[in-house]
Amino acid sequence: MDTLLDINNLSVSFNNGQSNVTAVKSISFQIYKGEIVCLVGESGSGKSVAANSVMRLLDESKTMVIAERMSFMSKSGECLDILQLPKDKLPGLRGQEIGMIFQEPMTSLNPVIKCGDQVAEGLLIHGLESTHSVKDKVLELFKEVGLDDSKRIFDSYPHQLSGGQKQRIMIAMAMACNPSLLIADEPTTALDVTVQKKILEALKELCRNKGMAMLFISHDLNIVKQLADKILVMFKGEIVEQGSTLEVFNHPKHPYTKGLLSCRPPLKTKLRILPTLSDFIGNTEAKKLISNRLPDNNIITRQEHESAFKSLSSVEPILKIKHVTTSFTQAGMFFWNKKKVFKAIQDISFVLYPGEVLGLVGESGSGKSTLGRTICRLLDSESGSVTYRNIELANMPENEFRVFRKNIQIIFQDPYASLNPSMKAGDAILEPMIVHKLCANKQERIEKVYSLLESVGLPAESFHKYPHEFSGGQRQRISIARALSLNPEILICDESVSALDVNVQAQVLNLLNELRSKFNLSMIFITHDLSVVRFICDRVMVMKNGRLEEIGTVEQVMDNPASDYTRLLLESVPE
Amino acid sequence: MFSQLIYKLMYSIVVLLMVIITVSSIIYLAPVDPTRLSFGQMADAGTIEKKKERLGLDKPLPVQLMYYINDISPISIYRTSELSELPVTKSALSLSSTHSLVLKMPYLRESFQSGRKVSELIGEALPKTLILAFASLLFALLIGIPLGIICALNRDKMADRAIIAFSTLGVSLPSYIPAIMFAVFFGYVWSSLTGLDVQGSIIELNDLGNEEIRIRNLILPVLALGIRPVAMITQLSRSAFLDVMNQEYIKTAKAKGVRLVSLLYRHALPNASITIISASSGWLATLIAGSYFVESIFNFKGIGDLTISSLTSFDIPVILGTLITVCIFFIIINLVVDMLYTKVDPRIKVN
Repeated sequence: MDTLLDINNLSVSFNNGQSNVTAVKSISFQIYKGEIVCLVGESGSGKSVAANSVMRLLDESKTMVIAERMSFMSKSGECLDILQLPKDKLPGLRGQEIGMIFQEPMTSLNPVIKCGDQVAEGLLIHGLESTHSVKDKVLELFKEVGLDDSKRIFDSYPHQLSGGQKQRIMIAMAMACNPSLLIADEPTTALDVTVQKKILEALKELCRNKGMAMLFISHDLNIVKQLADKILVMFKGEIVEQGSTLEVFNHPKHPYTKGLLSCRPPLKTKLRILPTLSDFIGNTEAKKLISNRLPDNNIITRQEHESAFKSLSSVEPILKIKHVTTSFTQAGMFFWNKKKVFKAIQDISFVLYPGEVLGLVGESGSGKSTLGRTICRLLDSESGSVTYRNIELANMPENEFRVFRKNIQIIFQDPYASLNPSMKAGDAILEPMIVHKLCANKQERIEKVYSLLESVGLPAESFHKYPHEFSGGQRQRISIARALSLNPEILICDESVSALDVNVQAQVLNLLNELRSKFNLSMIFITHDLSVVRFICDRVMVMKNGRLEEIGTVEQVMDNPASDYTRLLLESVPE
Repeated sequence: MFSQLIYKLMYSIVVLLMVIITVSSIIYLAPVDPTRLSFGQMADAGTIEKKKERLGLDKPLPVQLMYYINDISPISIYRTSELSELPVTKSALSLSSTHSLVLKMPYLRESFQSGRKVSELIGEALPKTLILAFASLLFALLIGIPLGIICALNRDKMADRAIIAFSTLGVSLPSYIPAIMFAVFFGYVWSSLTGLDVQGSIIELNDLGNEEIRIRNLILPVLALGIRPVAMITQLSRSAFLDVMNQEYIKTAKAKGVRLVSLLYRHALPNASITIISASSGWLATLIAGSYFVESIFNFKGIGDLTISSLTSFDIPVILGTLITVCIFFIIINLVVDMLYTKVDPRIKVN
C-alpha cells in the first residue's frame, strides 16, 4: 500500500510570550491510501493541534512546528513537504488534497452565505467546475451525503437547518474536490446519538466508495470501534499506543488505553463504582490501595436493584409533577403583548421518591432541560402543578418561593460558564449560604465550605483559588459543592457530566453516587447518554418533542423498551 | 417586509410627534423675546406689542403650540376666512360655516428675520448638508474599514499600535478642533499649495454674480467632519474583524483553500459589517452633531449653519423647522439601517 501521509517526530509548541507549552511531543504515524485512522484522546491531549498542523491551520506567529518528516503524497504523485510548502501553495493543498470537517457544525458554517454557495466556493477556487455547472455538481454532492430536498438546502442559510444537516453540508464541502485525505475533528460530538450514528455511517461509506483516507479524531473510543482500521491513542501530547482496531480493543497494552476502555459506564450492566484512570496509571502502591476501592462484586444485578428500588418507592414521594406544560413566548408587535411560540413541554406527570435518582433522557429539543428548569422555577409553567412535600410550588409568588429554592438546587452542564470567573471558589460556595442565611455565623459557614470541599474531593487550599485555576472536572466539583451548600433535598443535574472527558466523568459520577447516599439526595439527572443513566439512575424517563415517551426502572426501560423511540435511542449508542 | 415598513413608519411618526412637542415646548418656554432681538433695546413698547401680535406671540403658550402643530400637520383645521392666507398647496373641506378641514403640505411658517418661507430656506440648505454628510460617510467607511482590517491582521504589531493611537486621538478630538486647524493650515497658511479657501460653501456666487458649484470647498469640511467617524469605524471594525477572524467558519474557509483577499472580502466583511451597522446610530449621531460646528466654521451654508444663525437671532420658526428636518433625517437613517440589517444578516427574520 502507498503511504499518503507520513509524519515523523512531529512536535508543536505554543509561545504565549513568557512560556513555551508543548502540545504535541514528537509523534509519528502513517496514513495509507484509503485507510481510516482514528486518533483518540482526552481534551487537551493535543489531537486537534496535531490535525490542524497537517493543514498548516495554526497561527504561525505563535506556534512552533518541528518535524523530522511531514510529507504528503499529492494526487499527481508528487511528494509534498508540508512544513516547507510556500504560503501561496497552501490553498492548493487545502480543500483539494486534504479536506477537513470540524466539531461544531453550528459555528463552522458562515452564517451570512447560502449553504450551496459555501460548498460551490471550494469547487470554483480550485477551478474544478465552471460557474454554470457548479450548481448541478453541488446538488449531486448533497445527494451523495444523504441530504434530501437538496434544492431547498442549496438556497438555505445555515441557521435554517438542523445540526445533522449542517454537518452533512460540512462533509459535502470537505469532499467536494475529491481530496485523498479527509480530516474529521470530532465531527459528531455536538450531535444527538441517533444523528451521530447516521453521520458515522455516511462518512464510512463515502470513504470506502471513493477510496478516501480519513483521519478521524475523537475523545470516545467506543465511537471509533465500528469505524477505524487503525487506532492511535494520544495522552498528554504523545501517542502512547497505536495498532489495528482489534488489537487495541482486545489487547490494550498501555494502561491509559485500558483506563479509557473501562472508564465509560457500560450500557448493559449496572456497576457499583466506576473504574477511573488512576486505577490503571500511577505507582504500584497507590494502585494497590485503589484497586481495593473497586469491590470484587462490582455488578449490581437486576433483582438486587429492583428490590432496593422497591424499598425506596414504598414511602410518600418528595416531589409530584402533574400535567405540567411550559411554553416559550416571544415579544409581539407591541411591547405589551406576548406571542406564544411553542410548547416546550406538554402534559408531563411523574413523581420523585426520596433518595431516588430519576434519569431524564431525550435528544436535544426534547424539552428535558425545560422540564428541569420548570421544576426549580427558573422558568414559569403555563399549567399543571409541582407539589413538594404537599406544598404547591407552581403558582407560589416569587418571594414565598425563595424559601423553598434552597431545597431544590440545580447543577448546569458547562462548568466553564456557570462559575463567575471573578469569584474565588470558596466565595462561590459561600454565597448561597449568605443569601439564605444558613449557619449561625461567618466562622461556621467557612467551616462548612471546607467540609464541603473535602466531600467533593478538593483540597482545602481550593478555597482561595479562582475558577480559571481549576480543570473542567474540578470546576464541576465546585458547582456540586455550591449546590450542596444549602443542604438541598432535591438536586437537578442538567447534563452535568456531558462536557467532561470520560475519566473525569467517571470520577464525578462516582462522587455524585457517594454524595447521594451520604446526604440522602433525590436527583433528577438530565442526560442524553444512556450508559450514564444505567450507572447512576434508579428510574428513567424518556422524552420526545416535549412529551413523555416512557417511564420505568432502568432495567425495564433499557432491557425491555416499550416504545419504538427508546429502542431507536438504545440502538444508536455505539458499542 | 412591506407590513414591517408600514409598522416602522407608524412608529416613526409617533417619535416625530414627541420630538416636535418636546422641542417646541422648550423653545416657546425659553425666556427670550424674539421681538426684542429684532428691534433692539431702544424700541418703544407699542412697536413691540404690534410685532408680537402679528407673530402671534401675545397668545398663551399652549395656544401658540397648538397653532404651530396645526400649521405643520398635513391634516389640520382652519377658519375658512384664513384659508387664502395659507401659502402652501392645499385642499379644503368645509366642516361648518366658519371652519374647514384642510389637507395640505406641512406649513413651516416664515422666518421672523428675513420673512422668507422656512421651507424655502431649508430647501436651499438641505442638499448641501446631505452632500457633506454622505461624502463624509463614504470617506469614513472607505478609510475606516481598511484601517480596521490592517489593525486586525497585524494585531499588537507596530502598524496596529500606530493606527490605534491615532484613532484614539481622532475619537477624543471634538470635530471643531480639526475644522479650525484644517481651515487655518490648508485654507490659509498653505493655501498657495492647496488652492483651498478658509471658508466657502459648495455653491458660491462668483465675481459676475452668478451661482457656481465649487466641489473643492467640500474637501476640508469632509476631512474635518469625517475624522471622528473614521476613528470610530476603525476601532469598531478592528474589534469586529478580530472577533470574526477567530470564528470557526473562517477556519473552515481556510481549510477549503480560500485565499486571504476573498477570505476577508467574502467571508469576514459581511459578518463584521453586522457589528459596524449595529453601532451605526452612535457614529451617525457624531457625524450630524459635528456638521453643526463644521458648517458654521467653514461658512458652509447647510442646515447646521442655518440652525446656528437662527439660534443667535432666536428665529423660532427656523429653529423648529431645522430641528424637525434633522429629526426626520435621523428617522429615515434608522429605517434604512433596519432594512440594511435584515439584508446583511439572514438570521434576523423580517417579522
